Amino acid sequence: MSDLDQLYKETILAHNRNPHNYGKPEAWTHHAEGVNAMCGDLVQIYLSIEADRLKSVHYAGESCAISMASASMMTELSEGLSVSEWRLRFEQFKQLMNINNHDCTYEELGQANTLVTVKKFPSRIKSATLCWYAVDAAIRGLPTATTE
Amino acid sequence: MLEEQFPGLRTKVHGKPLVYLDNAATAQRPQVVLDAINDYYQNHNANIHRGVHSLSESATELYEQARVSMAQLINAPSEKDLIFVRGCTEGVNLVAQTFVRERVKAGDEILISHLEHHSNIVPWQILCEQTGAVLKVIPMNQEGELVLDDLDQLINNKTCFMSVVHVSNSLGTINPIKELVKAAHDKGVPVLVDGAQAAPHIKVDVQDLNCDFYTVSGHKMYGPTGSGVLYGKTEHLAAMPPYHGGGEMISKVTFDSTTYNAVPAKFEAGTPNIAGGIGLGAAAEFLLSIGLDRIAARDQHLKAYTEAALNQVAGLRIIGNAAKKSPVFSFVIDGIHAHDIGTIIDHHGVAIRTGHHCTMPIFQYFNLAGTCRASLSFYNTEQDVDVLIESLNKAIAMFA
Repeated sequence: MSDLDQLYKETILAHNRNPHNYGKPEAWTHHAEGVNAMCGDLVQIYLSIEADRLKSVHYAGESCAISMASASMMTELSEGLSVSEWRLRFEQFKQLMNINNHDCTYEELGQANTLVTVKKFPSRIKSATLCWYAVDAAIRGLPTATTE
Repeated sequence: MLEEQFPGLRTKVHGKPLVYLDNAATAQRPQVVLDAINDYYQNHNANIHRGVHSLSESATELYEQARVSMAQLINAPSEKDLIFVRGCTEGVNLVAQTFVRERVKAGDEILISHLEHHSNIVPWQILCEQTGAVLKVIPMNQEGELVLDDLDQLINNKTCFMSVVHVSNSLGTINPIKELVKAAHDKGVPVLVDGAQAAPHIKVDVQDLNCDFYTVSGHKMYGPTGSGVLYGKTEHLAAMPPYHGGGEMISKVTFDSTTYNAVPAKFEAGTPNIAGGIGLGAAAEFLLSIGLDRIAARDQHLKAYTEAALNQVAGLRIIGNAAKKSPVFSFVIDGIHAHDIGTIIDHHGVAIRTGHHCTMPIFQYFNLAGTCRASLSFYNTEQDVDVLIESLNKAIAMFA
């Protein structure tokens, strides 16, 4: 399988076609936007946090397939976690996307492990990480996250 | 063959021959430019306008000859009307912070157009913040052309300055600069023209345009990065305060006061990008030797071929269809984001730009986050366009 086919493997294309938890929900408790200054991508993150737990995670915006798929997978991984559990998951995802870490995957990240191939395309890593940084900003009460 | 003079075009990308269609971002350099830079460093390496030794004299001569070549390229009345700058960004900032800042008052209006690059927006916003001036914008239509119906109101007794782009980097639109300059001058408003995308494609004649200032970036016209010129009418340059202070821009310094050097040295503080200037001169001579008329004819041929080819791609929409445009194509494809297209076709050796191309307001108008942009040079071939189309079809198949 070529690098390109690995990047756009079916799991990622399927999430891009049918993104989960996509669209602005009717209600939320926390919101932040993620901006990728290099390409101008913008994602909106809407969280409902109750009793320190992420009850729902939604995102909206128009972005590339990597960004859409990553956000779709992230919402599924995040829902139901406590804030501290989510932070651990975020750390794992950052390690997964760390260009200096070879062959590291995490069982807890499930399908999101498929994004490890993005590392072969360094200019696209931020596409995969933007949504996670935006959730982190929303939890912290910050309006905006950037990948810079 | 012209393309054989560009060693950069022989690069391979992912094992495929490079198809370079990102010329509006930066062009490839011909061998003569690379040789001129190398020749300076190898055979004439010295500072300019300073030493009496032979090397300094020959380096100065090469640098000043480059100014003459650039003056010839844009038909400036004298090479002394040209200031070497790092590129158009510096050219615009220089005019904003010297000529315009001297004359602008709170409430005055600075007029730009909807087609501007960020480099012809932000320097004016900074000036407005500093002075209380107000930024006004000439609107555009769905074709990506400026709408001049209300120009008479837009240029009014509050208008202090106009700064407009000659050729849009995102849509390729060629603006009616002569008409705009005349309308501004009729009301006593001076005009700066951003010629970054014009110089590599169009025969620029600053005297015919009658603009007050014109700025060019070297790297867009096959010259080195970090090089460029700002042309200004002699009387403006003479009256303007300096931009940067330092060596070279003075004729006498004491701790009490400084007397500035004559134009253009007054605006060229410090040791400049000597090799860049010399390389830029070589690029100007290269363009003059091909002939801008020949380049324009080649552009029109490539434009027609590319437009017809892109229109055959299913789900592809070209953004910007001005009646007069250079071979620059912004486009979107249904269901595939520009960055995905950019990554996929890169694997077929095709280099294009994706995103907002430093013109966010244009894409806000079209309600798009960005586009793919294929920008062609005279060295591109019909085969390059065929490879682009083939690779776009592969991207579409991948996402089907």
